[in-house]
Amino acid sequence: MASSLGLGSGMWSEEAEIDASLLEGTTDVELLKQAWRNEKAAPEILKFQGPLVLRIREQIKLLEETVDEFRENGVDDLVVSLYQMDLDRTLFLLRSYLRIRLQKIEKYTIHISKTDLWNHLSEQEQKFTERCREKMEKHLEQSVLARLPHGYQSIMKQSISSEEDDMVPEPQLDTFVFCKTKDAVGAFQLDDTGDDIVDLVADDLYVIRYKSIKGLVDASQIDLV
Amino acid sequence: MYGRRASQLLKEQASCEAGQLTPFNSDAFEQVIKECDEHNLQLRSLIRKIEDQNLDIQTTRNEDHFGAVIHHLSLIRNKRCLMAYMYNRAEIIQSLRWKLGPVLPQEIQEKLNYLEEEYFKNHSTVIESYMSEMDIDLTVDMVPPKDPYIRVRVLDEIGEVCLDDHSISLSKHSLHFLRRTDAEPFISQGLMEEFVE
Repeated sequence: MASSLGLGSGMWSEEAEIDASLLEGTTDVELLKQAWRNEKAAPEILKFQGPLVLRIREQIKLLEETVDEFRENGVDDLVVSLYQMDLDRTLFLLRSYLRIRLQKIEKYTIHISKTDLWNHLSEQEQKFTERCREKMEKHLEQSVLARLPHGYQSIMKQSISSEEDDMVPEPQLDTFVFCKTKDAVGAFQLDDTGDDIVDLVADDLYVIRYKSIKGLVDASQIDLV
Repeated sequence: MYGRRASQLLKEQASCEAGQLTPFNSDAFEQVIKECDEHNLQLRSLIRKIEDQNLDIQTTRNEDHFGAVIHHLSLIRNKRCLMAYMYNRAEIIQSLRWKLGPVLPQEIQEKLNYLEEEYFKNHSTVIESYMSEMDIDLTVDMVPPKDPYIRVRVLDEIGEVCLDDHSISLSKHSLHFLRRTDAEPFISQGLMEEFVE
């Protein structure tokens, strides 16, 4: 896999010299791969990588054009299929990244739409969430809620006597995740009580509760694997 | 025992393999709905009884109050079970859209009740609008690609199909060498399988 990505990065570097990410020596594909891994491992939905997705889509378009051009000009089939393979892999990453996010939205529609997570979504994802919610509410309304006695018909609350919304599925933030540090974070407090302090050194693997390192993931100081 | 039928409904679901649907159990479902109504009637009549005795409904702690609480809690439990039943099924229905595409095979369709069929269609359109807004097809590429081309065997008569810029005749049992992205929709519908020697 690494060799094929190397092939892609070589070609893209020509047109992407302005790209800040390249100055750090990482390609957009690498960044997308990391975003995809994080999204896969995190129990809740992370911030949408808007600019990155845009760049990747442009690069995909460029690659597609290159491949088409090669085909027309009768470039060696092997070369073409190497480029095609590289293209397919990038496309897979992009599709899978978007898909995982939609599936998280499907799972926690209501929770996402009533919390800060709403701001993690792209514009299209927000529309998707609204529509999802509308359809799901209609479905549960017609099949169950409308047939229950008055006072028990809320989708958010068990009955009118509940003070908070106690019927909304939420992601389990307590789960353990595997993660890898990039740079040394130093002494890190795992919980509010301050009893549990871990020294996070650079480039090391940890298994920690997602809840504790949530902030580090957001600040991309740590990668989930 | 109160709430037993509702929990049986869920047990039936839990005993089934994950991600698989059981046929919609409308008998049990209707019975639980009826139970809810009965609990509600009992609850109302107990509350009325307390009120008729001119007791304060907030502070009274007599046998009628506790009776009412039991009916209230049983009703809530039934509601949670019914919602969980419907919601878990809806989650599976969502996943079917990703796994099988916009048309469900007959044997799965039979397991849904009519509202669920409706929901499947509705949810399908929600996913489709997202894909068209983003101008990307997310239903292909479900597994990481190895080779851009794969060898497939046609399992059912498909007929003439236009792929890319040329048309190809996909007759039953024939073998083809296709682009993976072209073949994937057929494979997910069970019309083709990957051919491994």
